[in-house]
Amino acid sequence: MTAPLSVAGLRPARPERTGTGTVGISRDRTDIRPDLEAVFRSDYPRVVSIAARVLGSRDQAEDVAQEVFLSFGRSSVPVGEAAGWLTVAATHTALNLLRSGRRRSAREESAGDGPTVVPDVADLVITREERSSVRAALARLPHKQAAALVLRHSGLSYAEVAAALDLSPGSVGTTVRRAESVLLKELNRHASPE
Amino acid sequence: MRHPSEGVLRRLVDEPAGVTDDDRAHVAACPACLAALDTARADARLVGAALATSGAVDTDAAWARLSTTTATAAPRPAAFSSRRSRWRTTVRRPAIAALSAVVLVTGAGVAAANDWLPIFQTERVDPVEITSTDLVQVPDLSAYGDLEVTKEPAPEQVADAAAARERTGLDVPEVAELPEGVTGTPAYQAAGVASATFTFSAAKAAQAAAAEGEVLPPPPAGLDGSSLRLDAGPAVAAIWSQPTGVPTLVVARVVAPTVYSSGVPFETVRDYLLSLPGLPDGLADQLRDLSAEGGTLPLPVPAELVTSSTADVGGSEATVLTSRDGLFAGVVWVEDGVMTGVAGTLSADELLSVARDLS
Repeated sequence: MTAPLSVAGLRPARPERTGTGTVGISRDRTDIRPDLEAVFRSDYPRVVSIAARVLGSRDQAEDVAQEVFLSFGRSSVPVGEAAGWLTVAATHTALNLLRSGRRRSAREESAGDGPTVVPDVADLVITREERSSVRAALARLPHKQAAALVLRHSGLSYAEVAAALDLSPGSVGTTVRRAESVLLKELNRHASPE
Repeated sequence: MRHPSEGVLRRLVDEPAGVTDDDRAHVAACPACLAALDTARADARLVGAALATSGAVDTDAAWARLSTTTATAAPRPAAFSSRRSRWRTTVRRPAIAALSAVVLVTGAGVAAANDWLPIFQTERVDPVEITSTDLVQVPDLSAYGDLEVTKEPAPEQVADAAAARERTGLDVPEVAELPEGVTGTPAYQAAGVASATFTFSAAKAAQAAAAEGEVLPPPPAGLDGSSLRLDAGPAVAAIWSQPTGVPTLVVARVVAPTVYSSGVPFETVRDYLLSLPGLPDGLADQLRDLSAEGGTLPLPVPAELVTSSTADVGGSEATVLTSRDGLFAGVVWVEDGVMTGVAGTLSADELLSVARDLS
C-alpha cells in the first residue's frame, strides 16, 4: 500500500426530504459515470480480495465487488477518493453478507480453498476448518470491530481506519488487537499465551 | 513510566511512526513490552494468514458482467424477486433483512396489553430512501435481542389461479388486457404466512453497545424481555415471462405486514430502538416521521437505482417506482390490509393501466 487512501467520501449521504412523510428522491442520475471502467479495471482485484478476506469465498467476494462497483458507478464520489470508498464499501458489504447468516452455505468454496501457506512463515499453515471458524468468529464480532480488523488487514492506515469508522485514532490499535484476540481463540494453537 | 497499552503495541507493529517517542523508547528498554510486542506481531501475522485468500480474478469477465448489469438489469422490489441475477440476490438479501427491522421499528402507537396486541396494520406504503451505505448500517437486530422466525412462507409454484387461491385464500388479480409485448399464460406462485418474533434483551443490547464503544440509553421499564411479532402473508403472484425466462409482468397480492406487541406500549419500543446507536440519523428520522402517521409500511427503496412517485389506483394512493435506467417499473398499493403490486419491464404508464383494470 503506497498511496494514501481517502475515505472521506464514504460518510453516508443524508436523504433529502420533500413534503411531509414522504421522502423525495431528488438526485437524478440515471447514467453510469464514465470513469467507471477505468476505476473498475484498476481496483477490481483489490476489492475482490478485501471481500474475500471477509467471506473466504472467491465467488461471493466477486458478487460483493459487483454490487460495490455498481453503487460506485451511480455515485458521485470524486475519483481521487474512489480507492478508499471502494475499500470501505467492500468491507461493510461483505461483513453485512457474512453476518446476515444467509450465505449460500457456511462451507468455504473452491477457489483458494486449500490450506493457506504464508510464504515467509513456513509454519503458518491454516487449515480449512480453522479458516471457517475464524470467519464464524468474525461474523459474531461487533460490526465496527470486525470492520476495523478487515480494513487494517486490507492496508488502510490507522488514521484512515479511524476516519472510515468514526473511531478516535488512538483507539484503532486497541480495537484491532481485541478483534485479533477473539479470532485467535478460534485457531487451534495460540501465538500468545492466554 | 507506565507500560504502553496493548493498542499502542499493536500500532507499533504496523506504524512505528504513529507511536510517540516516549512509548517507543520505553518499549525498546522494557523486556516485558518487547515480549508483548513480539506476541502482538505474531498474532497479527497469524490472523492475517487466516484471513488471506489466494487465486486470480478475471477482471475482463467481471467487467463484462458489470456492463451487462448496468445495461439491462433493473432493480425489483423485494416482493417481486427473481433469483436470476447473482448481484441482485446479494443486494436483495440485506434489503429483506432491513425491511424486517424497519417494519419492526415502525407502527402506530397503541396502549399496552398483556397479550399479543395488533399495533400495526398496514394501510399504505411509503418509500423510504435507503442507500447501500445506510443498509449496512442498519443495526443487526440480533445484537439487541433474539429474532426468531417462527413460520417460513415456503413459496412454491402452483398449477393455476385456483390452486393458488386454495393454498392462500387470496384471489390472484386478473389482468383485463395484457400490455403490448406480454403474451402467453402466466406461472402462478403461492406462499404461506411468514412470522417472526423479536424479543428484546437489555443485556444483549448493552453488550452490543459497549462493544461499539457506545453507552446504551437506559431501557424503559418493562422493555427487557418484551416481544414484538411480525406477520406477513400469505401471498400469490402471476408471472408472465419471455421465452428466455425474463419476467415481463408480475402481478402479486400479499396480506400486508402486521406487528403485534406483548408487554409494553409499542411507541416505547419504537422510540427506544430508534435511539440505539448505529441507526443512521437520516433513516431514523424518516422512520420516526412515518411511524407518527400510523399504518404506513416503509418500503425501503435503493435510492441509487430507483425513483418514486405516487398515483391513484381505484381510490388508493399507490407508490410508483421507476428504475433510473427506465427499463423497469412497479406500482404498489394497499387496500383493506392487502397489498397489491404490479411490476415488470414496462413503462409506469402501462403498469398503471394494468393496475387500474385489475379485477
